[in-house]
Amino acid sequence: MATALARTKRSRSPMESEDMIAGWVFLAPAFIIFATFIFGPIFYSLWISFYERNSFGTINNFVGIDNYRQILDSPDFWNAFRNTAWFSLGVVPTQTAIGLVLAVLANRKIRGKSFFRTAFYFPSISSSVVISLIFLWIYQRNGLVDILFNGLNIPVPNPVWMQNPNGIIQMTLEQFGADSVPPWLRGPSIALMSIMLLNIWTTAGTMMVIFLAGLQDIPGDVYEAASLDGASRVRQFRDITVPLLRPVILFVVTLGTIGTFQVFDQIFVMTSDGGPARTTTTLVYLIYQEGFKFGEGPGYASALATILFGIIFVLFLVQRHFLGQTENR
Amino acid sequence: MVEDIRFHRLPRRTFVGMGVAGAAALALPVSLRNARAQDVTEVRLTQSPSSPAEQNVMTSLLATFMAQHPDIQVNYEPVTQQYNTKLQTDLAAGTAADVFTFGSLPSPDFIQGGVLAPLNDRMAAAGITTDQFYPGLIAAFQQGEELYGLPKDFSTLGMIYDPAIFATPTDTSTVIGGTPSASPAASPAASPAASPVAGEGLAVPTTWDELRTVATQLRDQTGQAPIVFGPSFDRYIAFLYQGGGSVISEDGTSIVIDTPEALAALDFYHGLYVDGLATTFTEVGAQWPGDAFAKGLASIVFEGPWLIGFMAENAPNKPYGIAEMPAGPAGKATMAFTEAYGLNAASDVQDAAFTLIAWLTGVEGMTQWSTGFGVLPSRPEVAAVYLEQFPEREPFLVGGEYARPWQLGSGGERFNTEANAELQALFAGQQDSATTLANMQARAEEIIRLG
Repeated sequence: MATALARTKRSRSPMESEDMIAGWVFLAPAFIIFATFIFGPIFYSLWISFYERNSFGTINNFVGIDNYRQILDSPDFWNAFRNTAWFSLGVVPTQTAIGLVLAVLANRKIRGKSFFRTAFYFPSISSSVVISLIFLWIYQRNGLVDILFNGLNIPVPNPVWMQNPNGIIQMTLEQFGADSVPPWLRGPSIALMSIMLLNIWTTAGTMMVIFLAGLQDIPGDVYEAASLDGASRVRQFRDITVPLLRPVILFVVTLGTIGTFQVFDQIFVMTSDGGPARTTTTLVYLIYQEGFKFGEGPGYASALATILFGIIFVLFLVQRHFLGQTENR
Repeated sequence: MVEDIRFHRLPRRTFVGMGVAGAAALALPVSLRNARAQDVTEVRLTQSPSSPAEQNVMTSLLATFMAQHPDIQVNYEPVTQQYNTKLQTDLAAGTAADVFTFGSLPSPDFIQGGVLAPLNDRMAAAGITTDQFYPGLIAAFQQGEELYGLPKDFSTLGMIYDPAIFATPTDTSTVIGGTPSASPAASPAASPAASPVAGEGLAVPTTWDELRTVATQLRDQTGQAPIVFGPSFDRYIAFLYQGGGSVISEDGTSIVIDTPEALAALDFYHGLYVDGLATTFTEVGAQWPGDAFAKGLASIVFEGPWLIGFMAENAPNKPYGIAEMPAGPAGKATMAFTEAYGLNAASDVQDAAFTLIAWLTGVEGMTQWSTGFGVLPSRPEVAAVYLEQFPEREPFLVGGEYARPWQLGSGGERFNTEANAELQALFAGQQDSATTLANMQARAEEIIRLG
């Protein structure tokens, strides 16, 4: 933001050095804090990712890219990557779709509009730890979900929701007589699914608010013209709302992807060490385990963090490629 | 205290007002020292109290120490959340306390990390010997012949049972609450699990075979699994040792999880579950096995002394018995979950710091600590005084004589997670017990850094 500000200023008028200095002085506190607590650690983390270190810093050997090589060979990394990918794949499209639909509904002139807006947004502003604890009760044996399932006469899973490592694709395939399903095809476990549902529930509200803001930018006369031409509500949604919201959708999907690839607190609170059977160990949780639970140490964990950054960056580029072309039209 | 075991899959509890209590605790020693003596050495002590009660006892313990040692000022820094994470970063940053506690599980990592000062010379000079402590506790903090920490206290696993069902006690078993052993058949009302077998009066099992037999009897009578446990390695490992298996070989050079003995132990442990003699705490809707017991959903659980406080709080009227863990083919075994006071290798005040450690783990300090807070004393010498006050805890304390340290080598904490994952996969029916052990062996060889 600082550079963007400086650039527009420069292009507008010949640089006035006094303003320039004043600008930097005003920016300095924020910039120094940012550099010390954000930039500094990021580059330090990149630096130690080339070292073999123990938790106390008493061992510190330069090993080049060995950590990275070791990570790519590690089944733990691929397991965590798989879990995170399933998590993201399940959560991002769902929360985007729900957020969009909620936004469109909450944007209409209906009674109690602001109540619904507040109600849907509420989970997003509540503490995620508190919500996770509440969901832990809900998912317990004979908890709310079990009561609901029993009432509908649907069999509840065994082991219990949060303790069930069986993948949902695996279970489906086994219904059709498949014997041993390879790990990458098992799909998210029931435990991970349970956390995904919680995540969708909490973030859909945030996405709704962003979409609501985007909807304000679509001029009403476009819809007016469309209804004069006889376009149905659904048609208007598909051919006007969605295309015109494209930049917002890109923003929401990017935000969602970053958020889901960084999921940690819910895993930390709701599972015992990324269990059952490692099916809820996400990449960030693995970083925590390797770095702080006497795993491979901070160097290895930092290398993992760098790889995670790379993954998110590549995903962003891909999403921008597919969703971000509105400016050229 | 070593309550991590109990809480490790519970929601982390925050004690509101802890900060206030902490501030008060920090302020106390200062006020005691109004008349400041010359040359007072300041020693920082950090530890993770499991409850405000533990913190209060620790504070008064330190006050006693300071009254006897006017030249030493102890600054107590309790950490209630994420203790190990904070300690690691403090040690890396060089700001850790002079004396800190560390658990038996990460102990090899601390020792090999070189952050602890060796204690043998100081102990010899102070006349402290390792045989003054329970052997399983000393083993947890030793590398070779060198000792790196003196055990603060410990907990062992025992068998908690419903005395209304098991009326015939063993040599060491004790009963808390109700009308112990006088007329057990006449008082079955306290526990719902008791009613179907009222008046039956089974004997408390002392071996694997007896455990299976009585569990089968109970299952057939009630249609429910009498034992409640979980797919957790810190419970299976007791059975592993009872069956003659181990994790690391005697000489410490190889991983020996995948053995016929281990398979027999796992088949016994998992077999209880498969045959409907045991179920998991999650399946009965409990937070942990002790919770299931307090709610009357279990007749037998394998837990430690931490259950006593929990029962007093959650089921004060429910009587329960405590017995030693059942013996396996290789005899008796239980786990010692323990914690030691370590001396920071980078400390500037090592002499004063060791004086503090020696006093806290000495007869006087240990007596005040264990009788004040109720944890098991790590010195057998204190056992008599302790049992006078807590006679019902004898089965736990007796276990100290043959307990194995809860320790899995360097990287053990990380391996514990993986071992749990394998057990969870076994309990969910994703793999058989042989595969489970083979996987554990492979993961252990990869993760555990042998000395």
